[in-house]
Amino acid sequence: MRSLRILIIGGLFSFRALFDWLNPWIYIPSLLIAPVFQILLFVYIGRSAGVESDSFFVIGNALQFSAIPCLFAMGHTITAERFTQTLGIVLSTPAPRVPLFLGRSLPVIVNGWFVAMFSLVAGGRLVGVAVPAAAWIPIALAVLIGTASCTGLGLATAALGLRVRDTATLNNIIIGGLLVFSGANVPVGALPRWMHVISQWIPLTHAIEAARDLAAGATLHAVTPLLLREIVIGTVFAILGLASVRVLERQSRRGASLEMS
Amino acid sequence: MPVVETSELRRTFTARTGAFTRHKREIEAVCGITFSIERGELFGLLGPNGAGKTTTIKMLITLLLPTSGSARVLGLDVVSHARDVRRHIGYAFGGDRGLYDRLSGTDNLRYFAELYGVPPRTQRMRIAELIELVGLRGRENDRVEVYSRGMRQRLHIARALMHDPDVLFLDEPTTGIDPVGARELRATIAGLLTQGKTILLTTHYMFEADELCDRIAVIRSGEVVAQGTPQDLKQRVSSGSVVEIEAFGATGRAIDAIRRLRGVRSVTVEERDQVHVLHVRVAPDAEVTPAILAELSSARIGRIESREPTLEDAYVELVSGG
Amino acid sequence: MSGSRRVLRQLLVTCWLQLKMTGPDTFTGVLNVAWPLFFATTTFLVYRITQHGQVIVYAGLGASIMGIWSAVATTAGGALQRERWIGTLELIVSSPTPIPLVLIPITIAMAAIGLFSLGMTLLWEWLVFSIPFHIAQPLAFAFALFAMVFAIAMFGFLMSVTVVRYRTAWALGNFFEYPGWLLCGFVVPLSVLPGWVRPLCYALSPTWGMLAIRQAVDGGWPWVDGGVCVGLTALCGAAATLLSGRVLRSARRHASLSLT
Repeated sequence: MRSLRILIIGGLFSFRALFDWLNPWIYIPSLLIAPVFQILLFVYIGRSAGVESDSFFVIGNALQFSAIPCLFAMGHTITAERFTQTLGIVLSTPAPRVPLFLGRSLPVIVNGWFVAMFSLVAGGRLVGVAVPAAAWIPIALAVLIGTASCTGLGLATAALGLRVRDTATLNNIIIGGLLVFSGANVPVGALPRWMHVISQWIPLTHAIEAARDLAAGATLHAVTPLLLREIVIGTVFAILGLASVRVLERQSRRGASLEMS
Repeated sequence: MPVVETSELRRTFTARTGAFTRHKREIEAVCGITFSIERGELFGLLGPNGAGKTTTIKMLITLLLPTSGSARVLGLDVVSHARDVRRHIGYAFGGDRGLYDRLSGTDNLRYFAELYGVPPRTQRMRIAELIELVGLRGRENDRVEVYSRGMRQRLHIARALMHDPDVLFLDEPTTGIDPVGARELRATIAGLLTQGKTILLTTHYMFEADELCDRIAVIRSGEVVAQGTPQDLKQRVSSGSVVEIEAFGATGRAIDAIRRLRGVRSVTVEERDQVHVLHVRVAPDAEVTPAILAELSSARIGRIESREPTLEDAYVELVSGG
Repeated sequence: MSGSRRVLRQLLVTCWLQLKMTGPDTFTGVLNVAWPLFFATTTFLVYRITQHGQVIVYAGLGASIMGIWSAVATTAGGALQRERWIGTLELIVSSPTPIPLVLIPITIAMAAIGLFSLGMTLLWEWLVFSIPFHIAQPLAFAFALFAMVFAIAMFGFLMSVTVVRYRTAWALGNFFEYPGWLLCGFVVPLSVLPGWVRPLCYALSPTWGMLAIRQAVDGGWPWVDGGVCVGLTALCGAAATLLSGRVLRSARRHASLSLT
């Protein structure tokens, strides 16, 4: 029960305290309007190239963009705590690590899901994409799994934040990589062989494919293998992240590099 | 003609408080300040934090528009002739900010030299001169991010002098600098007068104003409460004496009673650790010590000392209105 | 030194010093080159599917310019705010130099950094996607490119004074970045966009700069498009100058130049 409390309350506190983007003057242009612009950009690229459908690009970009708040929020958690020099304090509490960091992930996942769903709905509306009403809930589920998986990746990069000074550059590269490799804009089948292989092992690829299938009329049952694969990938990254936190934390304690001087 | 003159200079700020119900509150930061500075003078604006010194300086250097009143620098109105005023003034403030960390000291000076329209031929020579003047030789090509605060402050002064201004405005230049560095900086400032510059210096260090300034205006809550040479200000308190009493457990009632005693001009109370130190200004030839001690009968008395009044007493008295 | 020569020298020197300030920095470097490169790569991968050779060349040229737009669009909004944080805004305003002559070198420096991205993107396109790049009229291309850089820089200047009241102007980077790519016709022919949006596209100086660049590369006649670009750039600069005067007067009235 204690773990559950740490999970929920600790998560909310840290989210508010550390995630500056909750300010509407930042949130609206950066996380609500910008993804719609990205969707428009690729919808028109698609139309100009005569490739796929508007729906293809709307779903792909809505999910890919949600990687931005997911990765940055998780990275911010660690870097900001390091900056305010509370990381040492937090890590030295007797609280168990797993609920501690999973607690911090929950608000990130919810926020990422909201950003993705908003741009999906708004972007879809703008370009005139029609999604069958019955498909919305399964799509919302696919999006949730996608953002959770992305957040798992975010945990891994956040762990790197214990060592690296500049997680922002790292995150930008990963987000760019997701744009290219996750099939957000290019059907994975049309990617060169080596890119296709990579795409199968990163977050979002399977969630995007599942969401597209659902929008085209597939049943939840039909896309379950894709969603399961997405969950596994996200979990692997999350475990990697938590394990790295453990290792790096121990190393940092030895090397006294936990706090930024 | 005075180099700097102000007449009933006033500046009000509107503060908006509250997140949902936005109350507007008018704060009078400067409430009708009048003074003038002659050529070649080092004039001090002395006062505690929040007295309005920085606001006054910012109006004179055209960064803030006065709410009412007027100010002229070199005969030019600071509102209608702002650009002309800017050509002839230099401005430096204390603290860490105001320089480009990723550029070297020389490059910082070069940047501002361009902004102030210093001819290229003059730039190199002047940069070298100023680096020498402020004692940064040997460090001028290091990035400012590795400079100490004292070095930054000196670079600030060099930057303010780049275009050879007639008037220099220095806003608390020695804030946060170690005593040795501050002393060197003060020597540099004093040396500028020999070059014919006119300087307005704001500070909350009374001893600094005493040491450097030809004339001082003491500011409290946006108003000038006294103006004159350091000597004049000392005269205000030079007659009589000051009795300093360390008292453990002096009550407010006792202190008020002391204030009402005949021969007592003023009482200021300083809190040092657990103890109250009363500074009682006593009129000349008044024997009040026994009466004071009588009022403090319930307290435990430590040290008692009688001494000459200093400029610090004048300052404390002026800014606390006691 | 005559007035205009002095101004020119001032622009050059302050621009150079700005470059020195922003230059050697991993974050800026990676961001300026890699970020547009990811988008360019994705765009080529999409166009490659349908094998439209002409469109790929079209997109390839435009994609290389994306970096210049990004370099300015993501940073110009926060220019004045950055000066305020550093504490130099007051010093700049209290100097006799008008604020446009301070901000324009800053945005030119940013746009110049984007030129590096241009080179990298063209190299990438050629190496990875075998996109050919032959310039029919090199001189005209150089003119058109410079016109583009100035157009984007002036747009950045306008952005910096427009959003200055917006408290979190530094966060508007992505907000300006994507629409610019789309509306200036970098990677999508303007004919594909809805009719109602096209007047807005043609009101933007970089759109004409892009047209001029394409003309120069294809061996067409770039001078009309280039001329319109220069004209619109001048208009943009004039508007921004007027606005900056108002903004500064307001700041002096409301004491918003410093953080304290």
